[in-house]
Amino acid sequence: MNRRLKSRIGKTALWIATFLLMLVICIPGLWVVLSAFRPNSEILAKPAIWIPRDLTLDNFAQIFGFGQEQVAIPVLSYFTNSMVIALTSTAIAVLIGMSGGYAFARFRFLGKNSLFLGLMLSRAVPGIALSLPVFMIWSKLGLIDTKMGIIIVYVAINVPFTIWLIDGFFRQIPKEMNESAQVDGCTRWQAFWKIEFPLARSGIASAGVFAFLTSWNEYALVSQLSRSTDSKTLPVGLMDFTSQFTINWAGMCAMAFIIIVPALILTFLVQKHLIAGLTFGGVKG
Amino acid sequence: MRWRAEKNTPWLLLSPAILTILFVVAIPLLFSFYTSLTPYKLTRPETINNFIGLRNYERLFDDAKFWWAFGRTILFLAIALNVEFILGLGIALLINKITWGQRTLRTIMMFPMMFSPILVGFQFKFIFNDHIGILNNALQGLGIMDDSIAWLVDKPLGMFSIIFAEVWMSTSVFAILLLAGLFAMPRDPLEAAKVDGCNPWQVFRHITLPFIMPFAFIAMTIRSLDVARAYDIVDVMTGGGPAGRTEVLWTLIARVGYDNAKMGQANAMAYVSTLLSILFTYYFFTKLVAARRYMGGAE
Amino acid sequence: MKSSKLRLLLASAIVPLALTGAPAIAGDFDGVELRVKLIGGDQYEPLYAEIEKWEAETGATVNILSRKNHFELDREIKQDIAAGTLDWCVGSNHTSFAPQYGSIYRDLNGVIDASVIAEFDALAIENSTVHDRLVQLPRHSDVSNMYYLKSVFEDQGNKDGFKAKYGYDLAPPETWDQVKDQAIFLTKGPDFFGTQYVGKDEAITGRFYELLVANGGALFDDDWNPTFNSAAGVEAVSWFKDLYDAGAVPKGVLSYLWGETGNGFASGTIALNLDWGGWASYFNSADATAGNVGLIRAPKGSAGIRTGWSGSHTFSITESCDNVPAAASFVTFLTDYDRQMVEASKGLLPTRTQVWVDATAHFKADGNAFLANVMEVYSQSMAEDAFTPPLIPEWIEVSNEIWPRLQSAILGEMTIQAALDEAAEAAAEVMEDAGY
Repeated sequence: MNRRLKSRIGKTALWIATFLLMLVICIPGLWVVLSAFRPNSEILAKPAIWIPRDLTLDNFAQIFGFGQEQVAIPVLSYFTNSMVIALTSTAIAVLIGMSGGYAFARFRFLGKNSLFLGLMLSRAVPGIALSLPVFMIWSKLGLIDTKMGIIIVYVAINVPFTIWLIDGFFRQIPKEMNESAQVDGCTRWQAFWKIEFPLARSGIASAGVFAFLTSWNEYALVSQLSRSTDSKTLPVGLMDFTSQFTINWAGMCAMAFIIIVPALILTFLVQKHLIAGLTFGGVKG
Repeated sequence: MRWRAEKNTPWLLLSPAILTILFVVAIPLLFSFYTSLTPYKLTRPETINNFIGLRNYERLFDDAKFWWAFGRTILFLAIALNVEFILGLGIALLINKITWGQRTLRTIMMFPMMFSPILVGFQFKFIFNDHIGILNNALQGLGIMDDSIAWLVDKPLGMFSIIFAEVWMSTSVFAILLLAGLFAMPRDPLEAAKVDGCNPWQVFRHITLPFIMPFAFIAMTIRSLDVARAYDIVDVMTGGGPAGRTEVLWTLIARVGYDNAKMGQANAMAYVSTLLSILFTYYFFTKLVAARRYMGGAE
Repeated sequence: MKSSKLRLLLASAIVPLALTGAPAIAGDFDGVELRVKLIGGDQYEPLYAEIEKWEAETGATVNILSRKNHFELDREIKQDIAAGTLDWCVGSNHTSFAPQYGSIYRDLNGVIDASVIAEFDALAIENSTVHDRLVQLPRHSDVSNMYYLKSVFEDQGNKDGFKAKYGYDLAPPETWDQVKDQAIFLTKGPDFFGTQYVGKDEAITGRFYELLVANGGALFDDDWNPTFNSAAGVEAVSWFKDLYDAGAVPKGVLSYLWGETGNGFASGTIALNLDWGGWASYFNSADATAGNVGLIRAPKGSAGIRTGWSGSHTFSITESCDNVPAAASFVTFLTDYDRQMVEASKGLLPTRTQVWVDATAHFKADGNAFLANVMEVYSQSMAEDAFTPPLIPEWIEVSNEIWPRLQSAILGEMTIQAALDEAAEAAAEVMEDAGY
């Protein structure tokens, strides 16, 4: 009896703790999402109005250009740019990551550790230190305000991490498998695609997911390198919007909502991959 | 012949990576370094041709504001990373115990990672706002406070708020990794310890904790790579103010470089902050390598 | 054969030549793409809705590359200067920011007809001139006056209580000392505050500067030595600090900029608000304050001078612009009579002399007593009280040395005198470095 009670109390305590935890994690986001549907006057009211009196789609209407005097925010362009840039840079970063990761996993060569460290440390350079030089070099090359220019930068940002993760995954696949395939008559190249690549697929996928998220959410560099709707992404759009409408809280929440939703959908889809990627690739590599 | 080809293959495979990094990171860094040796002003581009040697760096040594920002940045990172570790551990332990609905919990836990840092910044700027923020409104509504707390202004609270935002955003990285570590832990030592009569605390301290440390170091390494993303948060929430209370290195650099247009000086600062990042990363990375060797042995 | 072909060629060339020789009217800039960078924000937007009219008239298209607040725009422009990417034609500018941009903008004296320029306010044009070059065409001016909630001042309970406590009648304030008294009295924190102020960046420097001048002080002397750490300066900062200490302003003022103060007053939780005309119609139509807003001229400082920090938002044309006539047409359009009437109807202060007169008459005729009053009050302050900060390239840098110390003083981290002295030292260094 005593033990059962103890275990039940323990379980309840556990659940309460978990519930509170989830609250803290979710409330900030939920509050922003809720505020996106309230008129600005309600948000600014003092004393605070807790139960929403008016739910409205006005904020979204304003963003998409149905407001009285506002000109539409090109959300669709921002979204498309974000998609194109994130997907392309992810694809390239993963390819380079596979190539580099394989090299680190399978070969021994002089300077291997230093090179690995060097690649990792390149990620440690703060964006702010890079932003102006990159801007100046890019403008000489005519890459400012082009999707390509931003993609190149994002590839460089993502490569160290993709290499690290994919290296870890390749290491888990015994070398013997490739060698025995070669004995059976495949070239090294064929053996790779037939044996090793399929086995490392989930790791490669998780590297891709991380790269995508990094590119999707990056702000500091893209804000310098983009100028118009030719290349601006959603985070820049959010900042522009808030600068444009100087603290229109409701509008800002609406914009935030537009950015959060794709990210949330992605989370649902890929949480398994992310965890697998971080643990196997990172740890056992 | 084959042996020679074998020798070159890794370099060939690595060449795209090396080229990209050289092009996007190394060359701009060199350029940055060069400008840090000049009095380069954005609005007077010709100043890039004056060479003044290490004068910018000398000025930094006397610059109290710089050292305060430096110290504050280290404090910010140290507190944030440690808090994230402890909270992440707590969360992992908690979730590990729960069997029902674990997948949902894991998903919810990962939400904050999906947010763009500027989004996190705005979110908390909204929440911590002294006049209309939900936190103050809640405190006043529940009758706990009569007055507003200026979360983004008061001396310790400013740092608290930005650390809170940063922790909120990044604890999940620790939580996921530590949870994975807990999953991967072999049951036998645990069972054996229970049989031997160890209490839960001893089990945790002597068996669980050492096993998951490698995972913790991975998380620290990953975090230290991304640490500069905190710039977005601080810039949006407080801009480094008021009165420079929450000024960290990155906001200072941006202000000196862009608002004052003193790019040469700002690049000198940026170099010092890059060194800081590299030191952090290197430190955690060596720990990680050591831990990996340990893990390899345990496998 | 050759010569007849040549003649045919010449003949066919004359036709289009003849057409383009026609007088400059609509359809001029067919197919031209004008690249521009504009300031964004609630009050600035209505004008941009008019751009399509210019596009329809001239056949050109306007490509708005950036639309940001002025600090962000300033950063972007500085970047462009550094990288030499000035591949756009028209940019939003401001009389306080213009001097730092050096010679990237052209002198409009040659580009825009003198007769057009003469239609603008003489003072606005003067402030738009840097080193004898008219680098910008004024769009609207700003100067601040005092908005207040009428109900608060008409409330008998307030009146009696105030008279009892302070010994004089409660009425919209004439001096800044009165503002302080009234703000402290009227505050019922945390839901209602007597007043508020902007607390960071160039915004607070400007407010400090105008109060300094109103108290009889000055930023620099004739030799460009900083003199703002005088008694007048200390008095000015005390005003900010005393209100902060008394809790008569929201706790978070030190992170406030124009958006926060504007929204703050519009939410009905502030009694007195010094602000520019651009917010006028918004204030008078917001749910919480509609019909309850009064406006009087900015109060006087201890030297009997009214505060009047002002500047003009403007448009400039770059030296590197590839189609100056199109740019000139665009800029003139944005600031022409009709456009300024549109902005005036929102409370933005015109820079064309005729628009002042007509807009006021227009409001009176419409029975819009509020906006008519707004126009009158602001036109008085523009004419009599307005002054700009020193129009030098170093203004922003000096401001960046001043405002953090102002914040320190208000927060009590340093004594006011010490804070101002430190700021003065830093400012002197900036000026020296710049060669003054």
